[in-house]
Amino acid sequence: MIAQLAERPVGRAYATVRDRLGRTPYWSRVIVVLVAIGAAVISWGDDYVTAVAVSVATYAMLGLGLNIVVGYAGLLDLGYAAFFAIGAYTSALLMTQAHWNFFTTLPFAVLFTGTAGAILGYPTLRLRSDYLAIVTLGFGEMTRITFNNWEFAGGPNGVLGIPWPNFFGYEFNTQGDFFIVGLFLLAIAMIFAEHLDHSRLGRGWVAIKDDEFAAESVGVPSLRLKLFAYVMGGMWGGLAGAFFATRIGAIDPTSFTFQLSVLILIVIVLGGTGSLPGVLLGALVVVALPEVLRELSDVRLLVFAILLVGMMLLRPQGLWPRIRRKPKPFYGLEEEEAEDTAARILREHQVQMEARDRRHAAAGHKVPSVGETLLQVEGVVQQFGGLRAVDNVSFNVRRGEIFSIIGPNGGGKTTLFNCITGVQRPKRGQVLFDGRPVVGLRPHVIVARGIGRTFQGIRLFKNMAVFENVMVGLYPRHRTMTWQAMLHTPGERKDELRTLQESRRWLSFVGLESVAGRLATELSYADQRRVEIARALAAHPHLVLFDEPAAGMNPTEKLELVAIIRKIRDLGITVILIDHDMSLVMRVSDRIAVLDHGILIALGKPAEIQNNPAVIEAYLGREDDDMGTLTAQEA
Amino acid sequence: MGVFLQYTVIGLTVGSFYALVALGYTIVYGIIRLINFAQGDLSMVGAFLGWTLLVSFGFEHLPIYLALVIAFVVPMIGTAVVNLGILQFAYKPLLRRSLLAILITALGMSLLLQNAAELIWGAAIEAYPPNLLPLSGFFVGPVHVTYVQIALVTASLLLMGGLVAFVQGTTMGTAMRALAVDHDAARLMGIDVDAVIRIAFVLGAMLAAASGVMLGIYYVQIHFTMGFLLGLRAFTAAVLGGIGNIPGAMVGGLLIGLLEAYTTGYLSGTWEDVVVFGVLITVLIVKPTGLFGERVAERM
Ligand SMILES: Nc1ncnc2c1ncn2[C@@H]1O[C@H](COP(=O)(O)OP(=O)(O)OP(=O)(O)O)[C@@H](O)[C@H]1O
Ligand SMILES: [Mg+2]
Repeated sequence: MIAQLAERPVGRAYATVRDRLGRTPYWSRVIVVLVAIGAAVISWGDDYVTAVAVSVATYAMLGLGLNIVVGYAGLLDLGYAAFFAIGAYTSALLMTQAHWNFFTTLPFAVLFTGTAGAILGYPTLRLRSDYLAIVTLGFGEMTRITFNNWEFAGGPNGVLGIPWPNFFGYEFNTQGDFFIVGLFLLAIAMIFAEHLDHSRLGRGWVAIKDDEFAAESVGVPSLRLKLFAYVMGGMWGGLAGAFFATRIGAIDPTSFTFQLSVLILIVIVLGGTGSLPGVLLGALVVVALPEVLRELSDVRLLVFAILLVGMMLLRPQGLWPRIRRKPKPFYGLEEEEAEDTAARILREHQVQMEARDRRHAAAGHKVPSVGETLLQVEGVVQQFGGLRAVDNVSFNVRRGEIFSIIGPNGGGKTTLFNCITGVQRPKRGQVLFDGRPVVGLRPHVIVARGIGRTFQGIRLFKNMAVFENVMVGLYPRHRTMTWQAMLHTPGERKDELRTLQESRRWLSFVGLESVAGRLATELSYADQRRVEIARALAAHPHLVLFDEPAAGMNPTEKLELVAIIRKIRDLGITVILIDHDMSLVMRVSDRIAVLDHGILIALGKPAEIQNNPAVIEAYLGREDDDMGTLTAQEA
Repeated sequence: MGVFLQYTVIGLTVGSFYALVALGYTIVYGIIRLINFAQGDLSMVGAFLGWTLLVSFGFEHLPIYLALVIAFVVPMIGTAVVNLGILQFAYKPLLRRSLLAILITALGMSLLLQNAAELIWGAAIEAYPPNLLPLSGFFVGPVHVTYVQIALVTASLLLMGGLVAFVQGTTMGTAMRALAVDHDAARLMGIDVDAVIRIAFVLGAMLAAASGVMLGIYYVQIHFTMGFLLGLRAFTAAVLGGIGNIPGAMVGGLLIGLLEAYTTGYLSGTWEDVVVFGVLITVLIVKPTGLFGERVAERM
């Protein structure tokens, strides 16, 4: 439909305007919109309308916080009111007991709720997502009941007589004043949220939400990112809570019930999970709709419930859904010559490799040079119930070689990859990379050590464009801090630009620059596999593991793949390859290992493997591989 | 010791109600991965249907066994119909789409049921006939056990036994278990997934309604908001036992009942929720899948 619109002059004009607007900084747009809203409400609205508007702003602030947890990181939270409560009580108690100024209590409200976020987040990180529902709900109820039973905080009566905010002698005490303070806090929250969304953190969150397992395997520290989300979400809630306390003047535990948590969740889901304008719209609907329905008194909530269910059915994606796609990703980036790209990749890669080797040597480890052992697999055993998927396998991979692992289906090849990359912990045995053990490390740490991988069943992030998939692969190499991302500092901007440029180079390396802006799922099977390769390379690994990269490719595509693999080796990266296509494996490999029923039955140069009786025996009578036909042809 | 045993008796009675509702959560969750937040409110609907029959229609004056059969069977059927309606209109269109949207819809249905009940039956507290079952009891040593408790716990156990027999013994039950393990494989085997989902909703609603009527008989007073706490406890129980796991839901329900009784008895009613959730969170930290839940290995 958008495409049709773009054909017409109106559509074109709209697109141009949007494009222009899109290039003005986000903060300026937020400020313009919020100032306009503020001016409109204050000049035309009476006290009642302004009061409702202040409530909308409060809910929007809460929605923005919860949106980080639910919309960005994809974690469920049914106890968000707890943060609101902690923020409100912190600020209220500091103001009434210690007689602090409202504005000086804000950092403490934020600090306390951030800590509460960490306390909630830490134990729940490893829980499956459905369980989060009840745990967060429980956290919310526990917080409320604790305040209810806590004498110092007034017990069931709460805190009374909370003063107005005072700013260098100016007291904020009308609804209009509060609306201004509310909009100010809202603007800060929105700008930070937008910056986060477009930083590496935002990308990491989208990746985790899409496929946590794949994200972790390409270097995203998923547990840390989830914890961040809880902490940051909590901080936003604290800000909203402090604002709420001073505005209402008296708080008690009944303001922070499960129902409130649900309402905030409704704000973001109704608005469009993850979308900032959606949050504003959602807050407007959730606060204003019951006000509009006030006439109905008795059946007000019933009608609200019916409308809510109806809206969910009509627009499950929300009223203003989130759009993350940039169809022209490299717009405005300076062009690079084709030769130049290849040379730059090589240069950048060498810089990275050398830096790593230096760090490695400085830490007192021996750096293997070309031809020496890079990866040692020693007596690795992996067992599933009674099945030994990998049975006491040992071999060495040398730096700079292309090493292939073949074997019949179910031979244990993928399982071996999983043991090397930290996805699974082997039951026994050791894996040494660069002379250092990697068993027991989390997958993202192993990526940072220098091992990249692709997956047998393609696991690209479906909600991201191709270039963003590759940018996720660059995650381990970012050096910017979270606060830089929030403020969108020049340093962070430079880092982002570099990431973008590098993702473009890697895409051109695998020949996919032209489709960078498409969704990964729109590409052909073969192209998706190439995106996975680019994503694995983006972290500048020493060693890459490719699990059946040629599956589903036609002969031409396989030829291109061979060329890519050789190019990767030319960069100095060691390659381990699993594939069922014998002619391809024989052509590119320096050495080949054969796994059958988890046992390493042969290891050697391609020619040796072809004539190895045990290998032929293992493949004999199996139709799923073409070893038989290959040896027949050779004969 | 006597006091402890007394609390145990109370805890087991209440726990058996929780277990029934928890089973509803678990069956539905096992099949469509939906936390049906309206489950507790279905209990409330069942309780009010039973009350209407007994009090408004005067069935309490029938012979006791007949009255009880009517007061259980009709609400169970009625609630099942309500739940099927919810499934058809609210959940079905969203089943293969956004999980969050369907969760919000479930919360919306809970709100809707409560407010519809308020509209139909009013906001006042209603009372079950107080002497439907003999109020007396007997002493086992120092512990007082009432006939009502015996009857209600027996009834819950019978219902749970019936459910286990259904799930283990019938073709439909086998299909349910298959579906809970692997959706796609079950579909490929020719299982009529929609039919299984409907059965799960019917069973869940029937158990919830039965527990609602029991609560009415046990506590006498019912109110349109009673489903919230009941649902919360039952949901906690289901997760504690390992959601999706049938014996887990039963054990979880009983444990939550006991925990609640001991907390109220020894500490104070105001700390009930804190203790219950505290125990739940501790258990989940130690065993993230719940007491009986199995870890599903990630396959690629
Ligand atoms: N998580 C798991 N749980 C149980 N069994 C598993 C698991 N992962 C793999 N297996 C089993 O281990 C054996 C080896 O599987 P693996 O995927 O490693 O084989 P493969 O050599 O990669 O086969 P293919 O060529 O088909 O990809 C198979 O029998 C498989 O069913
Ligand atoms: Mg495999």
